[in-house]
Amino acid sequence: MRVSAPVRATVQRLTLPFLIFISALLAVLGKADVLLFDRVRVVLADAFAPALQVAGEPIVSVSKAIGAVEDVVTVYRQNQELKLENQRLLQWQQVARRVESENEELRNLAKFAPQGAVSSVAAQVIADSGGAFLRNVLVNVGGNEGVTRGQPALTGDGLVGRVIELGDRTARILLLTDINSRIPVVVEGTHERAMLDGDNSDQPRLVYFQPKTPVKPGDRIVTSGSGGIFPPDLPVGVVASVNGVIRVEPYADLARLEMVRIVNYGLDGVLPDNAIPAPHARRGPHARAAAPR
Amino acid sequence: MPYSRNRDYFGFIARMVPGTTTFLFTLLSLLPFHVPSFGSIAPSFALMAVFHWTVYRPDLLPLGVVFFAGLLLDLLNGTPYVGLSALALLLVRTGVLSQRRLFSHRPFSVLWLGFFGAAAGAFALEWAFVSLMQVQLMVPRPFIFQTLVTAACFPIGSYILALAHRAMPALSA
Repeated sequence: MRVSAPVRATVQRLTLPFLIFISALLAVLGKADVLLFDRVRVVLADAFAPALQVAGEPIVSVSKAIGAVEDVVTVYRQNQELKLENQRLLQWQQVARRVESENEELRNLAKFAPQGAVSSVAAQVIADSGGAFLRNVLVNVGGNEGVTRGQPALTGDGLVGRVIELGDRTARILLLTDINSRIPVVVEGTHERAMLDGDNSDQPRLVYFQPKTPVKPGDRIVTSGSGGIFPPDLPVGVVASVNGVIRVEPYADLARLEMVRIVNYGLDGVLPDNAIPAPHARRGPHARAAAPR
Repeated sequence: MPYSRNRDYFGFIARMVPGTTTFLFTLLSLLPFHVPSFGSIAPSFALMAVFHWTVYRPDLLPLGVVFFAGLLLDLLNGTPYVGLSALALLLVRTGVLSQRRLFSHRPFSVLWLGFFGAAAGAFALEWAFVSLMQVQLMVPRPFIFQTLVTAACFPIGSYILALAHRAMPALSA
């Protein structure tokens, strides 16, 4: 390498060790001081959202085309399956109608106020973490659309995860398969509570689980509502295997997420944006107006 | 310096090509590919760009660009370990730079094999680091899978980068 000036040579020689040191330091510290990066990350995600969305369009078209070809190839088999499924669903429809009317009567009897969804917003997935050790997606709605941290994200099939990071135009959703995801669940129809513990594999496992009746593959897992982050009874998945570790296959197809629904159930059990509350949060006329009489 | 002569010949835009493509490939790593049974594991296009330019034009891909591309990737993909990709990319660049002679005037298969080694090294580093930080051995399957997917996609990435590479003299006018 040509040396133009001793100083320059020294700087050049030190750049690599310096940058390697900085990256390693950031990677180690990042876990400890997440708040620092959260701001930067949110701003960057907001800034890159339009670019990612535009760049993603051709990919969406390509995957739709692949899906179309797949559909053509499998149309006969699909038709058979759909016919069977339709038969089954018609039976269920009858059951549902009967249960609905029964439910209506019982509600009238008990003056029961349903605790349903308050509002929901549809969101398009614009970036996928794509890493081997991350299970999250970035969607194109954020604080501007009324999304807040902690809200659950769903597809038509079931629970996807929850909002962990929020920008004005973007939100990051931690999928329930991520290693940092813990969701309080219950085996449907029982009171057997457990934690659904992501480990980055496709099938999260049940932990803290001491059932009185053993679970078997095919048992439905729904949210328990403990902790006040998720409402109870959101469909999560089915028990896939029980040998040693109990694993759950999520209902939502997490590998091919395109659209999700972020739902506001009016719950505020999640931790606030940062651990130290903002000093002015409780002041002002609104706080006084809302104070208990 | 064998390429200093080219510096005068190459225009500003041409010299921007390696850095620009590296950043574009970094963003490409983030796009959601909804391909059946592809899973959520995307090939690391950023790695391809860093590998390609380190082999062919390391003078036009400064360390700072590699560092910031890695940092951008980490900040956008939501990892708790910001800097890990930057570290992996910097180490790949260093490793490849020291072995550059192996790849010059060799068939593509040699380059591909070299890339496979680099990808395996990078993902092994990430696996080891995350395992250490999580204080538990991570399931190695996704990492192995990602290495294979990334290596399998290398010809595509390499072809696009070669096109950009060939366009550089035209851009320098």
